[in-house]
Amino acid sequence: MLRFDRRLLQNVDWPLVAAAFFIIGLSVLSLWSLAPVRGGAALAWRQLSWVGVGVVALLVVVSVDYRNLVRAAPAFYVAGIALLLTVFVLGRTVSGARRWIHLGPLSVQPSELFKLIFVLTLAWAITSWRAPSPSRGAVLGMLALMGVPFLLVVRQPDLGTALVLIPVAVAIFVGAGVRMRVLGTLALAGVSALPLFWHVLKPYQRDRLLVYLDPFRDPLGTAYNVIQAKIAIGSGQLLGKGPSGATQSRLAFLPERHTDFIFAVFAEMWGFIGCLVLIVAYSLLVLRGFEIAASTREPRGRILALGVTAVFAAQTLINLGMVTGLLPIVGIPLPLMSYGGSSMVVSLMGLGLLLSIRMRQFH
Amino acid sequence: VSPPPDRREAWRRRVLALTAVAMAGFVGLLGQLWYLQALEGGRLQEMSERNRIRIRPVAAPRGILFDRSGLPLVDNRPAFTLSLIPRELEDRDTVLARVSVLIKIPLRELQEALERVPPDSIRPQRVRRGLSLEDVTKLEERKLDLPGVIVEVEPQRVYPTSTFAAHLLGYVREVSDDQMKQGRYRRGDMIGQSGLERVLDEYLRGRDGGERIEVDALGRPVQLMQREEPDPGAQVVTTVDRRIQEVAERAMVGHAGAVVVMDPRDGDILALTSSPAFPLDRFTGNLERDEWLRLVRDPMTPLMNRALQSQYAPGSVFKVVVAAAGLQDGSLTPMDRAYCNGQFHMGGWTFKDWKEGGHGHVDLRSALIQSCNVFFYQAGLKVGPEAILRYARAFGFGAPTGADLGGERPGLIPTLSPPRARHGPGWQAGDTVNISIGQGRLLVTPMQVARMMSAVANGGVLWKPRLIQRVERADGTLAYSSSSKMAGQVDLSPAVWAFLRHALTGVVNEGGTGAAARIPGVLVAGKTGTAQSIAKSDASKGQDHAWFASFAPADDPQVVVVVLVERGGKGGQVAAPIARQVYQALFLEKVAMVVLDGDS
Repeated sequence: MLRFDRRLLQNVDWPLVAAAFFIIGLSVLSLWSLAPVRGGAALAWRQLSWVGVGVVALLVVVSVDYRNLVRAAPAFYVAGIALLLTVFVLGRTVSGARRWIHLGPLSVQPSELFKLIFVLTLAWAITSWRAPSPSRGAVLGMLALMGVPFLLVVRQPDLGTALVLIPVAVAIFVGAGVRMRVLGTLALAGVSALPLFWHVLKPYQRDRLLVYLDPFRDPLGTAYNVIQAKIAIGSGQLLGKGPSGATQSRLAFLPERHTDFIFAVFAEMWGFIGCLVLIVAYSLLVLRGFEIAASTREPRGRILALGVTAVFAAQTLINLGMVTGLLPIVGIPLPLMSYGGSSMVVSLMGLGLLLSIRMRQFH
Repeated sequence: VSPPPDRREAWRRRVLALTAVAMAGFVGLLGQLWYLQALEGGRLQEMSERNRIRIRPVAAPRGILFDRSGLPLVDNRPAFTLSLIPRELEDRDTVLARVSVLIKIPLRELQEALERVPPDSIRPQRVRRGLSLEDVTKLEERKLDLPGVIVEVEPQRVYPTSTFAAHLLGYVREVSDDQMKQGRYRRGDMIGQSGLERVLDEYLRGRDGGERIEVDALGRPVQLMQREEPDPGAQVVTTVDRRIQEVAERAMVGHAGAVVVMDPRDGDILALTSSPAFPLDRFTGNLERDEWLRLVRDPMTPLMNRALQSQYAPGSVFKVVVAAAGLQDGSLTPMDRAYCNGQFHMGGWTFKDWKEGGHGHVDLRSALIQSCNVFFYQAGLKVGPEAILRYARAFGFGAPTGADLGGERPGLIPTLSPPRARHGPGWQAGDTVNISIGQGRLLVTPMQVARMMSAVANGGVLWKPRLIQRVERADGTLAYSSSSKMAGQVDLSPAVWAFLRHALTGVVNEGGTGAAARIPGVLVAGKTGTAQSIAKSDASKGQDHAWFASFAPADDPQVVVVVLVERGGKGGQVAAPIARQVYQALFLEKVAMVVLDGDS
């Protein structure tokens, strides 16, 4: 099975790899610069070891033909649902949410992994119908398929991951050629379900949404993060303060600064110029991903590439939008930047999928 | 299994559209970043500065006042002050209520303190000084619940005793609203409000320093960014002798009045006390409003410095001036004699001697020694009011002495020919008789009497009383120094000075009215006085003010001691013993110390 074709190596998408590892480098650097407080050096080393694990996972993903993975999607799906359910039983509660499962010294976040399973499952479902474009029934079927894990993730609660899944699903539907009328109906249904959705939310999640509408509603409670992040980013100005001058980040004014808000740390240290470079790197990553999707003829491959790229793009845009105050705060890591094993490993596995599809494009 | 080309083309278009959406997202983000970092950057940068930097004033330790031999008269010790940082008081009402309950401060006091400063000030506003260690512990324990509440450590005045040299040193208190208007002070500054603390405030205050501290979001100091050391206040060397000051104060316990101890050779003030005194240390902490009112309204006026601000009739002490005037002008001679039967009749009036039955035959010297009024009634008439008042002025009465303390009163010398319309019949012979024994419209301060006595002791030099020798900055440079200054000269012939000194020696040592001031081994010279209280309201008490003005040793005067006891009764009985205690400390205990030094 691990019969490795030499020709595969000729089709490695190096710009994609370069962009991803450039971002990972910046991540480690940013964590390192938090060193004077709260063991930044230790964070950087642990992040590096997660990168190591992620690279192994990436190589494993690359060596497997992605078509086999799509075929195995139902099995992944069932396993994924099982994992999400175990969170409710065995999960560890961190700041009001049960998102993690303990495996010895490690904590695994199943919802992270489920993003890839979600994409695999959709790719499997769409390609299984083999119709020119999915019918209304097919779309509803897929929605039902996706609805179960979606609700499980929301109830954890991991609103961030849940919110990423929506644009990913939309992107896949659009790519698969679902008719605009169908998508419009879905959107309408979604909007009309919003009040219902509001009731499902936990009080702190409601607060976050309200604060998004009015940041100074509660400047030291929920809005504190938004304000402090804005101050951190803005005070970086054009050229940044450098690692030693980044007081917002180093002095713990910034909450969650090594995980979800790491971009604010980066922005404070490197300013607009640094942000420009980072965003160009992310854009490049996304562009390459979409390019792989566009140029792939194999249906499973291109849906998969589209989905994985959509996960990257959605997660990056939502995280950056939230940190810069454009979107409400939802707990969501910045792919390849934020500290955290599950996110890093899953991101690198996603990268592996893209590389794998690229390498097998011209068979 | 490749899809047909048209399907492929459609797919590419759809992916391209999605790409465009994603790229639009990134461009939007860049726009937001441009807004935050380039357009709003300056403002947010400023906010981040405020976010992390806390400015903490570091109060300069107030300069120390030393006595003439280098003993401190006051000192500083660290004290805890409750301060509020208005900007960091998130939920103001809750936090203030918590503090109020925690350390039992009226909520009103906290609110009032904040009303005086802008609500976004980052400068700590001092609310209450002198917190107990217990209160500090309570506040520190709940620190996280009390954002914006800090405990500062400030140097605070400590005094040897609560009332030590209260009028001389003066009290230090937080700047008042009126004083704020002068624009020289910052709110919360501790400034000298009376005495030397006030006169020397500019020197003593020093300059406050400050700390810029980086704090994290919980207000915990992370790093000291910059510390500007405070300039400590300058050290002041006074002319005061702490031991003598203490003795004088102890001797005055239970009496109202004043003691001035002066060196007649240079005008240095060795001790200056006014009784009753006020508790200095209560002012540095938190003087409650009613406690302050109690001090102000106290009928014994403890805040008044009686040595400089109270005016009394000099009584028989003034006989020295009358004698000097007569002897120098030739209207009196030492040989003048009179018979005193206890009464003096003039124009239908009878003036009494203080001694029932009189002193019998007296001459000028014995009249001074016995303080015979009848002799001086006649002497006064011989000398004449014009000469008496001229010499009174020459001896420095009727004008402030220029002592280094504010608020001095000039006393009063009556004028001979006041405008008739306003002041009744004008100067009468009876006025002359009265003024001859230091009564009537003649008022002096104890400081003026001390200066007069110094002139008698030193042969006519009127010194400007000196309290401050020098002021040294913390770096050792001299900020101010003063040498002795003559304020005037009383021109009498040496024979007259010698006569006066000889007579005053007799007052103490030859069974005169000042015998109670006598000490073995040292010749004390002095004059007693018993002044009628001019305040009619006090007449019911029937008590006169007791004076004793003296110097010693009589043959080589080194020190002048003036004692005034309000409503004390007879000068010889009340004031002279107090002077004796001072002399004992000055001469006998000093001698003992010297002997001790010799042994070792």
